[in-house]
Amino acid sequence: MNFLEVKDVAKQYGSHIALKHVSMSVDQGSIYGLLGPNGAGKTSLIRIINQITHPDSGEVCINGKPMTADDVNKIGYLPEERGLYKKMKVADHIIYLARLKGMKRADAQVEMRQWLERFDLSQWANKKIEALSKGMAQKVQFIGTVIHKPKLLIFDEPFSGFDPVNAEILKQEIVRLRDEGATILFSTHNMGSVEAVCQNISLINHAEVVLEGEVNAIRQKYKKNLFTVLTLGSPLPIYNDLYAIDKMSVNCGNTESLIRLRPGVTIREVIARLNEECNLGGFQELLPSMHEIFIETVTGKPVSEGGQYNE
Amino acid sequence: MNKNRFFLIVQREYLETVAKKSFIVMTLLMPFLIVLLGGVPVLLEKLNKSDVKTVAVIDETNQLASAIKSDEAFHFELIEQATEGNPRQLYDNRGDELYAIVVIPRDIESTHQVLVYSESSVNSVLVSHLHTAMSRVLTDAKIASYGIDGLDKILKECNIDVDVRSIKWSDEGDEQTSSTELAMLIGIVLSLMSYMFVIMYGSMIMNSVIEEKSNRIVEVIVSSCKPIELMLGKIVGVALVGLTQMLIWSILLGIVGSIVGIGFASTEAQAVAGAMAEASTDSSIIEMLGSINYLQILGFFAIYFVGGFLLYASLFAAFGSAVDQASDASQFTTPIVMIIVIALYAAIACMENPDGDIAFWCSMIPFTSPMVMMVRLPFDVPAWQSLLSIAILYASAIGLTALSARIYRTGILLYGKKNSIKDLIKWLK
Repeated sequence: MNFLEVKDVAKQYGSHIALKHVSMSVDQGSIYGLLGPNGAGKTSLIRIINQITHPDSGEVCINGKPMTADDVNKIGYLPEERGLYKKMKVADHIIYLARLKGMKRADAQVEMRQWLERFDLSQWANKKIEALSKGMAQKVQFIGTVIHKPKLLIFDEPFSGFDPVNAEILKQEIVRLRDEGATILFSTHNMGSVEAVCQNISLINHAEVVLEGEVNAIRQKYKKNLFTVLTLGSPLPIYNDLYAIDKMSVNCGNTESLIRLRPGVTIREVIARLNEECNLGGFQELLPSMHEIFIETVTGKPVSEGGQYNE
Repeated sequence: MNKNRFFLIVQREYLETVAKKSFIVMTLLMPFLIVLLGGVPVLLEKLNKSDVKTVAVIDETNQLASAIKSDEAFHFELIEQATEGNPRQLYDNRGDELYAIVVIPRDIESTHQVLVYSESSVNSVLVSHLHTAMSRVLTDAKIASYGIDGLDKILKECNIDVDVRSIKWSDEGDEQTSSTELAMLIGIVLSLMSYMFVIMYGSMIMNSVIEEKSNRIVEVIVSSCKPIELMLGKIVGVALVGLTQMLIWSILLGIVGSIVGIGFASTEAQAVAGAMAEASTDSSIIEMLGSINYLQILGFFAIYFVGGFLLYASLFAAFGSAVDQASDASQFTTPIVMIIVIALYAAIACMENPDGDIAFWCSMIPFTSPMVMMVRLPFDVPAWQSLLSIAILYASAIGLTALSARIYRTGILLYGKKNSIKDLIKWLK
């Protein structure tokens, strides 16, 4: 079931078109990636969903109903450009943000204690924000975003400013929140995290959705018949009618090759022929990474072949 | 508008500002500073008095010098002409100990001139001292020279000083003595207070807006509330901070003032009281003070102060939203401060003629009325004018707040661009 639905939303600032009839639907309880280069319109769309700005046309529905002013309390938003009141105490700040979202003070206090505990920040509760390290402040910011148990979470570049250790903790927390039933909209340039956590994505470029769907399906769709072949003891034989060899490297007598199948050639055929000629150690299809698809879609040019692939 | 959220924002703004060190220091120190500033001239005068200057007097007439009497500030020393010769020579001999040399020329009765030689420019107190003394002795000599008995008495009686007492009818038809000076004084003090507080708390609002913007917290906040709630919450919060500060100041000023007052009571305070008693020959100051309707003035002051504050505060908030850092704000604050200064000048100009055309029109223009009306109020402004001016002020304050809110909600989310007034007008659409 679609929890969040963006229907035909358009927005223009002066002569600059920020969004051209963008539509998208996000399943309940899923993590949805919103991708796109800087200036593509991601933040404009996110601000419209947050009711910070209003669309020129189109509408946003939550649970099948057009959003109302009260729906902002169901959303937790972590903007890309984020910050805190430096002079406020950690506990006061978190409770202030929770109460702005309509939470009662007592409830907010109970929740806050748990979160501070989880992030190992309990002893900082009465310190001022300015006394915190950047990573700690980011954690406080995260708590402020999720403390009111929002049904929809919007993270804009959530990992910027986090070191790898804390980024991993954050990723786990995001997945945990998803498992607890939250729907998550996730805007990022970090394609590794997209592949790791997102089920579906929309790629926005020049104010339009240029690519959308399930991450796995997209990778399948963009595959280029590339395979890595490991041959033991001997180099890969050359069969120009079956494949072209893009790259070959020898390691301890074994050869790893990157091959591209000719159109119409099946995997079965190739493996059968190779089995006759050499000792086959491995044969694996290479799917393009989201990173590659992103760059290819946005620039219109493929990334240098065999470049940044992952398994 | 969500009431709970609005009050939450007001509360945070208030508590965070009041807890700031700068606020606490400023609030506690200001009354002492005021008393200190008021006390400095008195102290300086005291210090000055202790330093007696010696002035040499060369009397070519050999009879008038006795009219110049030494006092706490100047010691006059009569120099025998024959012994010391001309002033230059005298100064060369005794320059170190002499402040100035006064020469009463032989022909003073026809020229009416006294000469003062000195190395630096001469103290004005000395000049007026000499002026008074010599004028009196020459006048007396002149009168005596006519040889008419009792002429001095006649002349004294002819010197008539008319005391103008203004009496106004109250609504009940009672006669009340009013004091123009006192009314002017109250008016200008209230006007200055409005001026000071609008600028002070206006910039407090602006800085708070800029801080939220440069902290990048603002996008988090406006994803939870409407921008106008944030802006109004800020304005109301700072207004409450202002009221708190004023309350503390008046209490502290009262305490400090009375302590210092007791200390000075024996000397200065008595002198001042004496002078005041002298000034108001038969109508007592108390009566005049009583003739001014304080409650009414205070009520109007509150109404105009709140209206004027709202009018300017939203402007400060809108301009604050248009810049990234406080240092960029001056291009916007300069025009506002200029308008406020013009309003203050208008108020001062209206003091002279509180019922004139300028006064009337400046009371109708919302940007000047909060200050100008303070000056006019003690002079009984026609009711319709007050009501009309208040109506215009509040209508424009509400209108301007609505416009400012449009600028604000766009401005707070725009970074990295220097915006001009033209851009701001575009955001209104």
